[in-house]
Amino acid sequence: MGVNLRDIVPKTHVKLEDLAGKTIAIDAYNALYQFLAIIRQPDGTPLKDSTGNVTSHLSGLLYRTINLIELGIKPIYVFDGTPPVLKHETIERRQQIKIEAAIHLEKAIAKGDITKARMLAQATTTLKDYMKQDAHMLLNLMGLPWVQAPSEGEAQAAHMTKRGDADYTASQDYDSLLFGAPKLVRNVTISGRRKLPSKNIYIDVIPEVITLNDTLKTCEITHQQLIDIAILVGTDFNPDGIKGLGPKTALKLIKQYGTLENALPYIKNAEFPHPPQSIREIFLHPQVTNDYKLEWREPDAEGIVNFLVRKKDFSEDRVRKAIEKMQQGAQKLKGKTTLEKWFG
Amino acid sequence: MFKLKVSDAKLLRDMATAISILVDEATFKIEPDGMKLRAMDPSRVAMIDFEWPKTIFEEYECAEPTKMCINISELLKLLRRAGKDEAVELSLDEKTGRLQVKITGKYNRNFTMPTLEASEEEVPTPKINFNVKAKTTTQGLSQAIEDAQLVSDHVRIEADSEKLILNASGDLMGATITLQKGSDTLLDLEAKENSKATFSLSYLTEIIKAASATSDIATLEFSTDMPIRIDFQQTKEGKLTFFLAPRIETE
Repeated sequence: MGVNLRDIVPKTHVKLEDLAGKTIAIDAYNALYQFLAIIRQPDGTPLKDSTGNVTSHLSGLLYRTINLIELGIKPIYVFDGTPPVLKHETIERRQQIKIEAAIHLEKAIAKGDITKARMLAQATTTLKDYMKQDAHMLLNLMGLPWVQAPSEGEAQAAHMTKRGDADYTASQDYDSLLFGAPKLVRNVTISGRRKLPSKNIYIDVIPEVITLNDTLKTCEITHQQLIDIAILVGTDFNPDGIKGLGPKTALKLIKQYGTLENALPYIKNAEFPHPPQSIREIFLHPQVTNDYKLEWREPDAEGIVNFLVRKKDFSEDRVRKAIEKMQQGAQKLKGKTTLEKWFG
Repeated sequence: MFKLKVSDAKLLRDMATAISILVDEATFKIEPDGMKLRAMDPSRVAMIDFEWPKTIFEEYECAEPTKMCINISELLKLLRRAGKDEAVELSLDEKTGRLQVKITGKYNRNFTMPTLEASEEEVPTPKINFNVKAKTTTQGLSQAIEDAQLVSDHVRIEADSEKLILNASGDLMGATITLQKGSDTLLDLEAKENSKATFSLSYLTEIIKAASATSDIATLEFSTDMPIRIDFQQTKEGKLTFFLAPRIETE
């Protein structure tokens, strides 16, 4: 998912602690998908309540978010709205992959191949409407702001970062940069130790900060040129990109010819499902809104316990401990300022 | 390209120690008239503003402004190898882009270390009208801060025209440290209006401890709920100033 610009984007590793006092607009779907994919039993079964509804997303949302708050980070969750028309093909394709994975998953389970089952189960991850409603409910109880984007959540998060309502956009996808986010931070909701897929190896996932300015400066390109590079490599709106064309070559081509239009005559097999200009337009002028309110309130401890413990079968002990951590974090956040406030 | 020589390695080592309190990767500006660094710590609570004019150096060659970014704790490791009265020479190898650290004295050592990509960030000066200006001995200030640290992790600094008070209250214990104007510790005090602001003791302790090796006199400037500016007067020309953002009590 998202565009692969890793090879050309300069990044700085940071500690989660360094983000203390910062407001972070988190791409909610991106985070919830990660929770649903990662928080599973060894054979790939997600966490469920006694009625069989999945609760992995709630577990991630509660504990991972509290990890941030404990450090004095202020999260805002930004939810996707209606996807742009151009994304339909990508969405259909993803659904197809999930259907196929589900079929293979049954076979793997029948064979008792747990490793494969886990991988396939992760590939079937879907975000259902009730999960989204659960997430809204939990965020309200935790006293955290969430924003409904008119279209792409990443675009809205980038917009809020541009307006200064957030210091960073948090997402795993580099698309945020295309949408114009001045600062992107990756690995925020999943930092820590993590098992590599299908290998018995654990790696440390460290947050990394990427600034749009540094990226453009290092590559010596404009924002529009970065978008053109992404379109050549492949975005959510043309997932295949151009066959055999990676970010480094795309960068070279765009620098040489200036724009996508000028570069195309020199590229073999340049085919797009939609006119590339319409894709560029989505990134340059995404559908966003200024109609949102950001408020951090005291968490409703009893409300959280009632929802997660009584309705979703979470362990009361763990939930109460987490809430306590959250309250301490809020305390720490209270007095803290940074020098930037006085830069005028 | 540049070549800088400091006749006393300790001077450079103490400076590097003070910088290392706040940053891991330090971007120095090396300009024809001297060497500068201005940087914030990653959480942007504190800032260091450092300048050494060329007159501090025994030799100073710099034809055009250059930015050099290095891992400061790696440099410190090398500088710690230098003994008393040994000289240090820093120069940039144009071909390899590596920093050469030459320590000369009892015998000659030639280290090289990589330079990193320089930060593009220009850190501005915080805009603050200071109402209090207090001149203390660095040692006295250091002691007072150590007293406060016994009981809490933050301290409220207050001043009127007569005295400077450090107030710390922890979960169990409390401390009030009073410095009277004209005492051995508080050499001078000007207060346009009574002011108070609270700061993290972990930052204050580290900054003062590191800077005290370079300075005997510290000048504090602050206003209510504003960042504090601490200037450590240098024995030679040069500037070592810190800014620290306050904690603002909402109750």
